[in-house]
Amino acid sequence: MDLLDLIDAVQSVADGVLFGSTYALLGIGFTLIFGVMHKINLSYAAASIGAAYGSLLLLSGFTAAPAIVVFMAAALCGGVIGALVYFIGFKFIPVANPLATLMSTVGLLLLIDEIIVHTTEGVPLAYPALYSDVVVRFGQFMLRGDLMFVFVLGCACMVLFLLLLYRTRLGIATRAVSQQPIASQLCGISILQVNVLTFVVTGMLGGIAGAMSGAAIGMLSPLLAQPLTVKGLIVTVIGGLGSIPGAIIAGLIVGGLESLFQFLRGVTERDLYIMMLLFAFLVFRPGGIFAKASGRD
Amino acid sequence: MRIVSIAAAALLAGVMTGLSGGAFAQERTVKITGFGAKSGVVRVFGVNSEAAMKAAAEEINKAGGVTLGDGTKAKLSVEFLDDRCNAEEGISVIRRIASTDAFVAIGPTCSNVAESLFGILQKKVGDASDSGLQFPVFADVAAKGGLAAISEWAFRNVPSELEMYKSLFAWLKREHPDLKTIYGGVEKDFAHSNATYGVMKKQAEENGFQLLGTGEWLLNDTNFSTQVREMRRANPEIVAISAHPFTTCGVLREMDRQGVKPKLLIGLTSSSSIETLQGCAKQAEGIIIPTSFAPVTPEAKAAAENVSKQGGSMDLHSAAAYEIMFILKDVIESQKIMAKPDTVQADRTKMRQGLAALKETKGLLGKVGRTNDREAIKPYLYVYAKDGSWQVLHKPSS
Repeated sequence: MDLLDLIDAVQSVADGVLFGSTYALLGIGFTLIFGVMHKINLSYAAASIGAAYGSLLLLSGFTAAPAIVVFMAAALCGGVIGALVYFIGFKFIPVANPLATLMSTVGLLLLIDEIIVHTTEGVPLAYPALYSDVVVRFGQFMLRGDLMFVFVLGCACMVLFLLLLYRTRLGIATRAVSQQPIASQLCGISILQVNVLTFVVTGMLGGIAGAMSGAAIGMLSPLLAQPLTVKGLIVTVIGGLGSIPGAIIAGLIVGGLESLFQFLRGVTERDLYIMMLLFAFLVFRPGGIFAKASGRD
Repeated sequence: MRIVSIAAAALLAGVMTGLSGGAFAQERTVKITGFGAKSGVVRVFGVNSEAAMKAAAEEINKAGGVTLGDGTKAKLSVEFLDDRCNAEEGISVIRRIASTDAFVAIGPTCSNVAESLFGILQKKVGDASDSGLQFPVFADVAAKGGLAAISEWAFRNVPSELEMYKSLFAWLKREHPDLKTIYGGVEKDFAHSNATYGVMKKQAEENGFQLLGTGEWLLNDTNFSTQVREMRRANPEIVAISAHPFTTCGVLREMDRQGVKPKLLIGLTSSSSIETLQGCAKQAEGIIIPTSFAPVTPEAKAAAENVSKQGGSMDLHSAAAYEIMFILKDVIESQKIMAKPDTVQADRTKMRQGLAALKETKGLLGKVGRTNDREAIKPYLYVYAKDGSWQVLHKPSS
C-alpha cells in the first residue's frame, strides 16, 4: 500500500464515520424503543425516510425553504409518524405476543414504503443540504462540509437526547418504565404516555436521521428505506440492544468499516464483512460493545 | 288492412333488430391488457406505460376504433396489472391474463421479469411436445438484449442498446478524436445497468478508447466517495455511467464535490428521463445519452402531450408502449381478429403470426424495422442535458 492508498483508506474511513452519524441516530431509535417496550420496531427507518419526504411535502408551498427549516420540519413529521406507528402497530397488539408486534412493524415498513412510492411514483426527489459546496482540504485529504454538518448535527442530537433522557422528568419516567414497568405504574407514571412520548421523541430523531441521509446524498428515494433498516438493526445489535452509548459508537464504527471495506474489497464484498461482524458480535458478544463478554454453552 | 299492419310491424321489428344489431356492434370493446411494475421503486415505469397505452387507445378510438374480423368496429380499452417487477408475480400475472379472453398482452417493464416470463411460453410454435403457454406477449420496456429469442411467442419493441452505443462511440471517435481515455461506472446489482455497461465497455474499447478503470456500486447505495476518488486519480477524459437516475445523481454530485470534471459524460438510456433532471440537473449538465424517443416530430410531440394528460411521462420506454398499441391495431385488422370468446386461441395464433410477419412498423421517430428474432430496430438520436432539459445533440440516421 503506497502513500496515496493510505490516504485513500483514511479518507474512506473518515467519510464513513461522518456518514455513520445517521446510522447512530437510527440505532438510538431502534434501541430506545427496544429498551422501553422490549420490542423491535422494524418500520423505524422507513418512518424516518417518510418523515424526510413529509418535510418536503410540508414545505412544498414555500419556494427554496432553508435546509435547516426542512430539517426541523422532518423532525416534526417524524414525531407525528412516530405517534401513528405506536397507535397502529403497537397500542392494540397484545403485549404477550412479541411476534405480533414484530410482524405489524414489518407491515408498517412495507406500508410506509408503498405510500412513499405511490405519492412520488418512486421518482427520486432532490433534498436540500447545508454546506454541500464546502470542502475542507488538508493536502490530499479532504472532508465534505455537508457530511461534517451532518456529523455535528447528529452529535448535537445525541447530546440533546442524552440530556432529555438523564436530566428531565420524561427521561426519568422513560428509564423507569424501561427498567420496572409495574413499579413505575405504582408510582403514578402513565405507561401509555411514556410509550407515546418515546415514539414521538425517537420519531423526531428518526426524522432528523432521514433528513440527514437525504442531505448527505442530495436526494430522497424509497430505495433508502431497506438499507437503512438493515444498517439500523446491525448498529442496534453491535451496540447492544437497549444501549444508547453502544448505538452511537456502533453507528460510527459501522459507517467507517463499511466505507473501508468498500475501499479494500469492493462493492460486491463490502456488505459480506459487515454481516460477518454482526455474526461475530452475536456469537462472541451478544450484549454488544459495552457488555461484558459472555460465556458460551 | 290487417296484413298491412302485420307487414309494417314485421318491417319495423326488422329495422329495429338491424339497428340494435348495429348499435351493439358499435359498442364492442376490445380490452388490451398491459402489465409491469406499478409498485416499488420502479413504479414510474408502469405508470408511464399505462398512461401511454391509454393515450394511444384514446387516439385510436377518436379515429373510429379498430375493425374486427367480422367487419364490426370496436373501441379499445386498457387494463394494466402490477407485477411488482418480480419474476414470480409476472408469471402469475401472465397466467391470469391468459386465462381470460385476451389475445395479446403488453409488458413487462423489468428485464428480470421478461426473462423468466418468456421462459414459460412455448419456445417453438407448433411443437406438440412443448406445453408452454401459447400466448403472444409484446414487451415495451424490458431492455436487456436478446430476450425475444427465448420464445416465438415473445416480441419486443425496445431499442437495441448495442446499436445505440456502437453508433455513439463511433461518433465520439469521429467528433472528438482528441479524447482517448474513459472511466466506467456501473450499478452492479441491476440487470439492465450491468448488461448495458458490458456493451458500453466493449464499444469504447473497439473504438480505441482506453478504459482506465470501473467504479462499481449498488442500486441503493448512498456513498460514492471511494469510487469517485479512484475515478479522480485515474483522471479520465470521458466518464460513462451505466446506472439509473438515483445513483447516477449520487455519483455526479460526488464527482462535483471532488472536482472530477471529465471532458465528456455518457449516461444510460434509462437516465434520459425527467427523473435525472429533477434530481441533479446542475451536475448532469452536458451528459450525452442515446435514446429512441425525443419530442422532435409533430407525432412525437402530440403523443407526449397526450401521455402527459393521462398522468404519465413520455420517454423511450413509454413511447414503445404507445407505438405497440398502434401496431396491435394494424395486426388486429390485417389478421381479421374476431375478439370473441369462442375465437380466443385462434385470435392468439393470428396475432402471433401477424406480429411475426411484420417487417416494418411505424414509430414516433420514423420507421421501425423488425428482425427475424422478433426484436425492433428503432431509430434513435443522442440527447444531452442542457439548462434542466433534454436537447437533441445528434440524429445518427439523418
